[in-house]
Amino acid sequence: MKVNVGDVIPPWTMPSVSIEKMKTMAAILRDPNPVHWNRKTVAAMGMGERTINQGPLSISYMVNMLQAWAGENCIQHMHVTFPNPLILDEDEIIARGQVKAVDEDGLIYCETWLERNGERGLIEAEVTLNLHNKQV
Amino acid sequence: MSDSLTSLIGHQFPGGDYLIEHWENFLLTDCTGADLMANGVVHPIALFHVPIIGAQTSIAEMFALGQAESDFSISIESYDWHFHSPLKENVRYSVTGGIIDVQLDLEEGGRRYDLITFRFEIAGANHPVATTEVAWHYNRGTTIGAQQSES
Repeated sequence: MKVNVGDVIPPWTMPSVSIEKMKTMAAILRDPNPVHWNRKTVAAMGMGERTINQGPLSISYMVNMLQAWAGENCIQHMHVTFPNPLILDEDEIIARGQVKAVDEDGLIYCETWLERNGERGLIEAEVTLNLHNKQV
Repeated sequence: MSDSLTSLIGHQFPGGDYLIEHWENFLLTDCTGADLMANGVVHPIALFHVPIIGAQTSIAEMFALGQAESDFSISIESYDWHFHSPLKENVRYSVTGGIIDVQLDLEEGGRRYDLITFRFEIAGANHPVATTEVAWHYNRGTTIGAQQSES
């Protein structure tokens, strides 16, 4: 796989964020926060009657994009920040990314982000990929 | 509150171990919209909950340690994940973790918060597997419109 600075990573789309998946995630994470599984709780906060996606679940869309492009087990490091992380059920979310640097050891440095309605700044990540990490 | 929060620096959770069974990885991966990975490899986002539960703590306890005003008063500064090797199903990992930093009385956009950073380490039988840092804002005196709550 030949990678160059500036390469655009093929985007990965979650067509509709699902409250049912959030409920399953809440159980797996043992996360008691009702904003992830009770629409009425979110509505009472004045934010509309849609649940809020868990941070790890939102991050997974970027992970899926990276692994679809560079292969499973390619991620060596992720630093994820959350400028505006309110991703809600029924949102269409697109993960995008671009190669920022490639070093002589073959490590690939990327920026990745999530978009909704063409706007980024929801969740962003600086990621290091190691294509030699594929053996398990 | 300030003294009690800063005294948390160095706090260690009991620690313990965690084994990811196939059903858990299957459901976790299904939530992400991806296909199950080959060779029993676990979806990387397990690096959020496996350290927390494996270290014998919980999201609820982490909220409580920082004296969160409610479930809705936490927002995220960052997650930092280092993968040394992939997590795999049916492998028992040892996990340690604790609080490495507390910063008080920060402000951003009119919102006051304290910042607490947790660090966890996951190891296999004789090798490190992953490290994570979770940095959360414990919002103080926010307005409802400014709240962002998710884990």
